[in-house]
Amino acid sequence: MTITEYFQLLFTDYTLRTITLGTAVLGAICGMLGSFAVLRKQSLLGDAISHAALPGIAIAFLITGAKDTNVLLLGALISGLIGTFWIKGMTTKTHLKSDTALGLVLSLFFGFGMLLLTYIQKQPNANQAGLDKYLFGQAATLVVSDVWLMTFVTGLALIILLLFWKEFKLMLFDADYTKTLGFNTRFIDITITFFIVLAIVLGLQTVGVVLMSAMLLAPAAAARQWTNKLSVMVFLAAVFGAFSGVFGTAISATQNNLSTGPVIVLVASVFVAFSFIFSPGRGILFRQLRFRKNRRELELKKTLQMMFGIAKTHENVSHPHSIKILNNFQGFTKKTIREIEEKKWITITGQEWALTQKGFDEAENMFNKSSDDE
Amino acid sequence: MSSPQIEIQIIAAVVAVACAIPGVFLVLRKMALISDAISHSILPGIVLGFFITQDLNSPLLIILAALSGVITVVLVERIQKTGLVKEDTAIGLVFPALFSIGVILIAKNANDVHLDVDAVLLGELAFAPFDRLIMSGVDMGPKSLWIMGVILLITITLLLLFFKELKVSTFDIGLSSALGFSPVVLHYGLMTISSITVVGAFEAVGAILVVALMIAPAATAYLLTSELKRMLFLSIFFGIFSAISGYWLAHWLDASIAGSISTMLGFVFLLVYLFAPSKGLISVMYRQKQQRTEVSLLTFLLHLNNHTEEEERHINHLREHINWQKIRANTVVDLALKNNMISVEKELVSLTEKGKNFTETALDYIITNKDEKIEHLKEDFFLFRG
Repeated sequence: MTITEYFQLLFTDYTLRTITLGTAVLGAICGMLGSFAVLRKQSLLGDAISHAALPGIAIAFLITGAKDTNVLLLGALISGLIGTFWIKGMTTKTHLKSDTALGLVLSLFFGFGMLLLTYIQKQPNANQAGLDKYLFGQAATLVVSDVWLMTFVTGLALIILLLFWKEFKLMLFDADYTKTLGFNTRFIDITITFFIVLAIVLGLQTVGVVLMSAMLLAPAAAARQWTNKLSVMVFLAAVFGAFSGVFGTAISATQNNLSTGPVIVLVASVFVAFSFIFSPGRGILFRQLRFRKNRRELELKKTLQMMFGIAKTHENVSHPHSIKILNNFQGFTKKTIREIEEKKWITITGQEWALTQKGFDEAENMFNKSSDDE
Repeated sequence: MSSPQIEIQIIAAVVAVACAIPGVFLVLRKMALISDAISHSILPGIVLGFFITQDLNSPLLIILAALSGVITVVLVERIQKTGLVKEDTAIGLVFPALFSIGVILIAKNANDVHLDVDAVLLGELAFAPFDRLIMSGVDMGPKSLWIMGVILLITITLLLLFFKELKVSTFDIGLSSALGFSPVVLHYGLMTISSITVVGAFEAVGAILVVALMIAPAATAYLLTSELKRMLFLSIFFGIFSAISGYWLAHWLDASIAGSISTMLGFVFLLVYLFAPSKGLISVMYRQKQQRTEVSLLTFLLHLNNHTEEEERHINHLREHINWQKIRANTVVDLALKNNMISVEKELVSLTEKGKNFTETALDYIITNKDEKIEHLKEDFFLFRG
């Protein structure tokens, strides 16, 4: 199957459409809520929560014996929430730092989950196959009801987000101020955390425990590069997330043996890399260009200053001098001389240069400016 | 106990010790999550190494994988330096991408690679004794034991050689560079050792559970002591204990050894987290409660000191005035009575001589905010605490 075939099939093939819609919605909600996680400096919380959800899935299966997705996800939600609050408790009540707390919850819960999973696998009832799809996710197992659930949660998150937009925003940027204004910061905090956990749990089936954190982070980190405005960032992150979902599904569907989760994550990473490099305001490329330009400008002005130093000892400013006397001066090249000439600061005749009135004024002003500063 | 069983336990214990030592420094340097990142991102290195060597135990593979671990660290630091995202976001962006590449590489070559992702995540300690090192026809024991043994030996040698430098650079970067130990060299040295350990251990316990073996013993020990040497010994002890008890748990449940080792680690951590003297949850909460009562007592005494009018000092009035609930108010009044700070006559509360002295000293402290004012306060005045 090629990409074009895929997009043709998208409108006719039921399964493909379900999966694509599912990953798109998932990407959107993850991007939306991930923005908050990133801005709250809780980027790795997602990693810890997604790993912490694993024992919940196993226990839900052990208790009910059913493979119903919703029941398993409920278990995941509960154990994810327990993990989150334990992290909070650990960092506030003991002197363990947040990185240690995150790492502990992540690895210990996951280890316990693996213990349960392998225990389940050795059990006689054969119903257990498919639990390990939560490790790496299998978008192919998405059914329409899953997509509806995702859409419902996304809608709910959107409504809550719009309702409490002001509070969330305030809390994000100045928690102390929010508290002094009398908002219930604890409630706001718990609401955001709850929705982040919810989004992660929803993604487990598609992307899997191990890679879920990237789903949350990457679109948000990419969106952050293009804007300084929260609303724009949330919107962009949702768009990036949805596109990573769709492209990731498309690529993995057109190739053999490619699981969807890792491909989606890679697509999202490409978005991030692209944004890091090419975003006009913060990107590395433009920053480097600006940096170069500034340095060049500085060097030109340095050369001009040097010329000014020579020229001002003469009564006639435009008295010609030999280019050779500049030779000892650092940062001077033929190119810079030509550029200065282009700016009409000097005129060159043969091997000699002469300052123009414009160049003289410029240099003098520059001198005044810097002496004003001092 | 059969001989493979003993060998498995020895391997598990060696892995636990090898992980615990760098783990202590990672936890102290607040870089615990770097171990998580490394453990994921060595995957592409392992896969590539496996394509070249076709042998999971080859030293070249270990070097390649450790290299990809170090590359991760460098990449994370590079991204941090751009200032485009925060530190933790940088970690969170790098390792899933590298891990995905690894997973895809495995999936694309599934037919000719005897390497599956479950094994990478979980490891297969149970099979470790069957892969034996044969030298000129003589059975020298399991290969992974040799690999981990060598790694452990290197780690211990480096630890003994550079203990002082590591200690200084962990707790005071400024001092360490002033003394001439380059923090950068030590940092990358530690990162390299961690990467090598993770790679060596991944086969035995899997990529994610390496993280448990690195962080959990160190964190557990950190709750019990603040001394570096003792912390190292304690975390080695916790590591070995969980490794061996974890093995028997797995034996009993017939489940993954790696999973049960980390479950044991979690269990030990939970116990210490709850019951550790002075730093555990229960003692912290007890102390906080005590402090709250002490503050209440002080507030109460200050109130008495401020008011001479009778109605302000009436025992029922106090309750509503300071807005305490009944039980809390009773506790505080009782405490003050027990300490002979107040006397109650006809439902009127007044300060005793001792109470007055105490309040004044406390006021002194509040006004000047100098610690020496209250240094002796507790010894001089307190007989009973909440």
